[in-house]
Amino acid sequence: MAGAFGFKGCQKIRGPQIRSLLEAKDFFLFDCDGVIWHGENAITGAAKVVNALIRHGKNVVFVTNNSTRPRENYVHKFSRLGFTDVMLEQIFSSSYCSALYLRDVVKICGQVFVIGCEGLRRELQEAGIPCLEETDDPDATIYDCALAPDVKAVLVGHDDKLTFLKLAKASCYLKDPDCLFLATDNDPWHPLSSGRILPGSGSLTAALEVASGRKATVIGKPSRFMFECISSQFRGVDPAQCLMVGDRLETDMLFGSNCGLDTMLTLTGVSQIEEAQEYRNSDLSTNHSLVPDYVVDTIADFLPAFEELEEESN
Amino acid sequence: MSGSKCARLQGARLQQLLDSVDSILFDCDGVIWRGDQPIPGAPQVINLLKRHGKRVFFVTNNSTKTRRMYADKMSTLGFDVTEQEVFGTAFCCAAFLQTACGLRGQKVFLMGSQAMRQELEAVGIRQTGVGPDHVSGGPGDWANVPLDPEVRAVVVGFDQDFSYMKLNRALQYLIQKDCLFVGTNRDTRLPLEGGRAVPGTGCLLQAVETAAQRQAQTVGKPSPFMFDCLASQFGVERERCLMVGDRLDTDILLGSNCGLKTLLTLTGVSTLEDVEGHEKSGCEERRKMVPDFYVESIADLLPALQG
Repeated sequence: MAGAFGFKGCQKIRGPQIRSLLEAKDFFLFDCDGVIWHGENAITGAAKVVNALIRHGKNVVFVTNNSTRPRENYVHKFSRLGFTDVMLEQIFSSSYCSALYLRDVVKICGQVFVIGCEGLRRELQEAGIPCLEETDDPDATIYDCALAPDVKAVLVGHDDKLTFLKLAKASCYLKDPDCLFLATDNDPWHPLSSGRILPGSGSLTAALEVASGRKATVIGKPSRFMFECISSQFRGVDPAQCLMVGDRLETDMLFGSNCGLDTMLTLTGVSQIEEAQEYRNSDLSTNHSLVPDYVVDTIADFLPAFEELEEESN
Repeated sequence: MSGSKCARLQGARLQQLLDSVDSILFDCDGVIWRGDQPIPGAPQVINLLKRHGKRVFFVTNNSTKTRRMYADKMSTLGFDVTEQEVFGTAFCCAAFLQTACGLRGQKVFLMGSQAMRQELEAVGIRQTGVGPDHVSGGPGDWANVPLDPEVRAVVVGFDQDFSYMKLNRALQYLIQKDCLFVGTNRDTRLPLEGGRAVPGTGCLLQAVETAAQRQAQTVGKPSPFMFDCLASQFGVERERCLMVGDRLDTDILLGSNCGLKTLLTLTGVSTLEDVEGHEKSGCEERRKMVPDFYVESIADLLPALQG
């Protein structure tokens, strides 16, 4: 692991410590929901932080497990919420990375059966991945529905139109051991800005794992693959130069840990500091990977450090 | 259990076993029928056992039929059976909610079949949720679905109308800590002819458990509840009882857990290779899934019954 900061270890850090971190790192990875925004509302100060990082010549990327929207939508959202200069190339969603995985790692020849929404299909189509069209008549059942002959992968993401029939078809395709089983992410539930939650892709993937007796390959955090996509696009990224900023211990912090990055938990989202402390105090050493190196109340806590840096340069 | 395990049941051993039991419990799918086809010889076996003075019961994890519907199907296929002899998870789940959960006269959110609804109504438990549930509106609406304040439990059985919306409703109810959570069974799939398979209740239950980050109590095999239900009603002695099934992880495990003798039939899901795998594992839990005996089909019992 990188860095020799004395203040590492699930500690809340402020001004001078944040400033040291900002000077030491040149690659910042941000989760979105609960870190940069809540639904349609940017976290106060987040736009200033991101804009300032970019102005100071830092690399900034956004790494999200949310598979429901194509990346273009995110570009527009960033712009709408006052984040200037965020480009498509900085956005890494689990749907985009699933498409890259199928195209570049698997080099898939054959169709993909998708349990997911339009945003996921769009990313696959844009990458030139053939997706099975859904053409069932409303009365079709698993006993009599058509099954395509050349399905080489089943990909599960968030799907609000999930039906029993889709689950049944997917498990039939997965009987072929040469048919891959991929999941955009494993999040069991997704939080909404209201504080309520909805079933996540993880719950749909779990159902299909039981039906098929197989384990899915997970593309999104905490799996390393999205970092590999980032690294490949930026022609090599040194983990020691990176800081992963997120709000969810089981995804963001573990992702950072798995990739050898320093991790920072922001408290504007899902996980509470008490949960981080529990993981730290756990007897199970694997739980220690979920413990953030640093903690901030909000990423707006970066702002004073920038003000100092700017004062100094004047 | 003395002697070698998983012995082939035939000849003298078969006669001895039949003499040593008064009650025989049969699983249904893969044991006495496959879909709508009786296993050849199965009706004769059941009927002859009864004629020999044995008590015969049926214990199935399938929640899509009431005991009345099972009795009707059995009659049609030539089995001489009364509905009181059938213990399906629809019936047992209703019994569980009534007795173990004290829910008589109250309401549940049901992800399950019409049969489950009927068995619940028969014990005075009302339900909401059965049938199709299509998504409309957006994420904000889903998280704010109106919740029926009378609902005391989320109940999950086999449901071909399973959808994201239903999963969501179940989640919203289960976020309330005092809402109970009961599932009929964890079977992963129901095999069909032609190599297809239908995802089982276990898949639907796993989806709800994952979203809600809570575990359901389950009623069906291998949980002992269904045996206890049967035994308390009919005064069955465990030592003189045989469980016949095709699945090691439900039927045979139930038998082991309840202290019954166990017989595996090879006309369904589990194979002798599966048995060997459990036998050779060092794991005590897995070794409970090794049956005392096996037959190729329950028709192999006929020689001892026809003489």
